[in-house]
Amino acid sequence: MTFSVLLQALISGILIGGVYALIGIGLTIIFGVMRVINFAHGDLMMVGMYLTYFLFTLAGIDPFVSIAITIPLMFLFGGILQKVFINRILGTLPQNQILLTIGLGLIMSNAMMLAFTSDYKILTTSYSSSSINLGGISISQPLTVSFVITAVITVFLYWFLMKTDTGQAIRATAQDREAAQLMGINVKWMSILAFGIGSSLAGTAGALISPTYYIFPQVGSAFTLKAFVITVLGGMGSIVGATLGGIIIGIVESVGAVTISSDWKDVLVFTIFLLVLLIKPSGLMGKSRM
Amino acid sequence: MRNPITQLTGQQGLTPVTTIIALLALASLYAIPCFVESPYALHIMILLFLSTIMGEGWNIIGGYAGQYSVGHAAYFGAGAYGTLILLNMKGIPPWYGVWAGIGAAVILSLIIGNICFRLRGPYFVLASIAVAEIVRLTVLNIPSITNGAEGILLSDLPPFKIGERVITDFISKVPFYYIGLTLAVFTILVTWLIQNSKLGYYFQAIREDQDAAHSLGINLNFYKNVALAISASLTSLAGAFYAIYVKFIDPTTVLPLDLSVQIVLIAIIGGIGTIFGPVIGALVLVPLSEALRSNVIAQSLINSGLVKEDSGMGVFLKEHLAHAHVLIYGILVVVVILFMPDGVLGFIKKLAARRKRGDA
Repeated sequence: MTFSVLLQALISGILIGGVYALIGIGLTIIFGVMRVINFAHGDLMMVGMYLTYFLFTLAGIDPFVSIAITIPLMFLFGGILQKVFINRILGTLPQNQILLTIGLGLIMSNAMMLAFTSDYKILTTSYSSSSINLGGISISQPLTVSFVITAVITVFLYWFLMKTDTGQAIRATAQDREAAQLMGINVKWMSILAFGIGSSLAGTAGALISPTYYIFPQVGSAFTLKAFVITVLGGMGSIVGATLGGIIIGIVESVGAVTISSDWKDVLVFTIFLLVLLIKPSGLMGKSRM
Repeated sequence: MRNPITQLTGQQGLTPVTTIIALLALASLYAIPCFVESPYALHIMILLFLSTIMGEGWNIIGGYAGQYSVGHAAYFGAGAYGTLILLNMKGIPPWYGVWAGIGAAVILSLIIGNICFRLRGPYFVLASIAVAEIVRLTVLNIPSITNGAEGILLSDLPPFKIGERVITDFISKVPFYYIGLTLAVFTILVTWLIQNSKLGYYFQAIREDQDAAHSLGINLNFYKNVALAISASLTSLAGAFYAIYVKFIDPTTVLPLDLSVQIVLIAIIGGIGTIFGPVIGALVLVPLSEALRSNVIAQSLINSGLVKEDSGMGVFLKEHLAHAHVLIYGILVVVVILFMPDGVLGFIKKLAARRKRGDA
């Protein structure tokens, strides 16, 4: 194996890791504010993929442009899900919360299958398989663009959470729900916001990978699992952690695929997950919350 | 004297009347194949038994000991693969091979238990999923033993003989009906025995409050592992039965996350931590998902004149509804969690209690 192969794997790992980070950040915000582990997260991403697919095939809108439509739609969808379903089970047994979100995920994926069959759909843009060549290392063009968009969104999200009043209110709710309520923060509204943001991030991630990935109703569960690995690795509730976790998992997958074998790369990811759970369950950034 | 836990959970011991009713029901279940010849009806009954075994199996660790494993597909797969690999490669009949499957599941459960039981709540759930996924991917990636993604097709099942006499050659569905029914009765019996033994109280104590149970001298790790091992062996029994009944297994049918979720849902929808909860869950889920799968619902909508067969809607329903039988699992679990947190059985009990109070 040459050094350039390794370097190439490293770079594409970082690029795909950016998208993973977006999925992980969504999950971690939802967990931080509501203490609910969203098992429907990958399915929200799947909904985003289908939205992007139909915006592209029916209206001819480029996937990277269509996120301007996907983000508000997914925000609305997530907010409604929170208001109608998730809100009713806050504070009940964690098992029931998990099962409810599993159920919602099943409904989403199967409703999608009912509507559009389980056929694989492929979104082919003019640049889907084009790449940039940098000194013998080829870098996928759509992945590069999606990485840049991811970075912009992440920075914007940081600014929003750190500097704006609403962002601070969300963080306060995550730190201590009751205290936040006593300070006059509308925690119910914050929960809706958090779930909306989480699902629009998942939807955006779906939109960003749709030019390079198969689109089918069951695509979600693999990404739900990946989202857990990322957030646990980074520390549940930590946005910095989720960003780091996403990029680490991206690198592990892509470097693991070339050094070990692509068949075993997921086993590697899950093994790391278990090790983190056993050795440092609080994750890399467990202490600092959001 | 009534013990405090049965008082707490409202479970009554056996009275002569309930014993007689149970025995009559059992006898009529054993007599059904003498009157019913439709292979499809028997098939549905066999699926009911299979779901009951899976649900009762999960109920031991999830319902009684309160550890929500969402990785039970691993044990199901261990039973299925253990039995079929021995049968296909070594010609060992399944009634011996199943023990290897159970053994594999128990060993696996002890490994998983020792890794995962250090974690609590949602972290335990996530860990159990991760381990089951590792098992699935491993089976997928060692084709020399498991035949990988192609799966294993059972070419011929040896007839079951006692001495020289052939008891059954497994041609019809009837022998599978009896095996399924007997296994289901066996798992219910095991659950009943556990619930009425010290072991059951330990499990429930762990479920209600781990720290309190620990301070009373209950060895948490040991009893959780015992619960998981029992649960795993029952689940692997279901896997072995599935394998010889369906005669084909591959990682996407006997090891996926979806299966783990379905196993949990059988128990949850019926009512966890009760003997008959998983039975009720199976009774609710199997007919509904079969009706969707076999297009009974689409056809009856068309027959009733609600939807015209040649209209767009009719064609759509006939083509797609069969593929979406899992949708019903999703809708049911959402309804159950939101409106009947104690499952269908708990809901019925509550209704009955309310009516009783109303009468008094």
